[in-house]
Amino acid sequence: MSKFNSRQTRSPALTALVITIVSACLLVGATGFAGPPGKFERTYTPQGSAHLTIANVNGLIRVAAWEKKTVCVRADAAPSVLIEDRAVGDDIAISVKRNFRLGRADFEVSLPAESSLSLRNVIGNIEVQGITGHISVNSIDSDIRLLRVNSSSIDVKVTSGDIYFDGELREGGSYSFQSMKGDLDVTLPGSTPFNLNARALSENINLGGFLSSLTGASRGTKGVSGSYLKGGSRLTLTTYDGRILLHKK
Amino acid sequence: MVCRQDQELISDYIDGSLELGEQAQIERHLADCESCRAVRDDLLQIVHFSHQLPQHAPSGAVWSRIEADVMEERGSWFRTVSWWAWLRTRHFNLSLPQMAATAAAVIIAVSAVVLVSRQDAAQNNAGVIAPRASGIEATPLSNPDFQQLEKQINRLSETVEQRKVEWDPELRSAFERNLLYVDQCLAECRHQLNNNPADDVSQELMLNAYREKVRLLEGFERF
Repeated sequence: MSKFNSRQTRSPALTALVITIVSACLLVGATGFAGPPGKFERTYTPQGSAHLTIANVNGLIRVAAWEKKTVCVRADAAPSVLIEDRAVGDDIAISVKRNFRLGRADFEVSLPAESSLSLRNVIGNIEVQGITGHISVNSIDSDIRLLRVNSSSIDVKVTSGDIYFDGELREGGSYSFQSMKGDLDVTLPGSTPFNLNARALSENINLGGFLSSLTGASRGTKGVSGSYLKGGSRLTLTTYDGRILLHKK
Repeated sequence: MVCRQDQELISDYIDGSLELGEQAQIERHLADCESCRAVRDDLLQIVHFSHQLPQHAPSGAVWSRIEADVMEERGSWFRTVSWWAWLRTRHFNLSLPQMAATAAAVIIAVSAVVLVSRQDAAQNNAGVIAPRASGIEATPLSNPDFQQLEKQINRLSETVEQRKVEWDPELRSAFERNLLYVDQCLAECRHQLNNNPADDVSQELMLNAYREKVRLLEGFERF
């Protein structure tokens, strides 16, 4: 009789335990194997000036120059995100594998100032500080910030998002900033000569302190072009639904 | 899906109030149909401009004026109904030549109305599909660059539409949001060029916007 009773009390407890374990498994599966986020960390040692390419999908990309000769890339990524890297000579390519799920990966990069960058993203802000090499940024839905940048060639394109630039232009350099929906906010030293071609479908162009000194200018409601201090580098600013704002440092 | 049915749904599509299945059907049709795309672009443009309009609250006198107009209309409608009833009960005595002449006059009048309305429709369609040619510059859509880009966009759109159903909702939302921005820009460029076909800046911006649409679609094609 006692054995029969103990079997009766054990079965419900066992059933409850099984149900709890199965529910926990289902819950973990439903949340995409949510667990501690993945970490990606690599250090590369280029022989010459590095060329770094990062192709992200969803998340931040922050790049800052440092004094060391190495390139250090760190990422905090969701467990479902797969990050691949490839280094051939001085070319370093890091990419987030695209799949149907939009896992997040935030990148922090430190590298020598003379490195060149090619940054791609779909959703997520991008920030670059202190770089003097070529910069190419190509994104869909991002705010872009370029600070203390002194490069001879910059090309930034976003579909939606603001672009903020505070840096220097080099003689003979080429600088292009474009946003379909967003503001272009550019701050330059007053002593920087450049040739400007600014186009805004929204007809919202404010050249600030540069306007009065623009020579050979052609001005319409949607576009302004001209030379500042006899020209030098080529600055092209294009926005459709946004403002173009130039500030003198 | 025939164009007339689609065009009735395009407004709901833009408002985002269609079921997923209908939405997918519309998008597939838009990938193939230039005239429906033109209608969509016009509606997007209207939405865009209407958002920029200042909001005004109507004064109290407005309803009084509306009420007075309605009462006046009602009066004239009753007068029309009475006239029609009189006409139905009236007897006409016409000879054969008189009847033939009347019939011929009616046929000529109807034909003239149909011909005039067809000409108006053709002119309107030309305005919707492509900006008016100025005689100085070729229309943007006749430019080989634009045609090439349109083909590329159609091909990419088809691929993206097929893959979109499997995407994460956040990804799909990001794509649709940014596609809408680009399409609004294109619609605005077309509007500017309609007003001034010789506007070089708008032409340049339109070509650039087409390239941006290709870039956007290429970016999402790989998902």
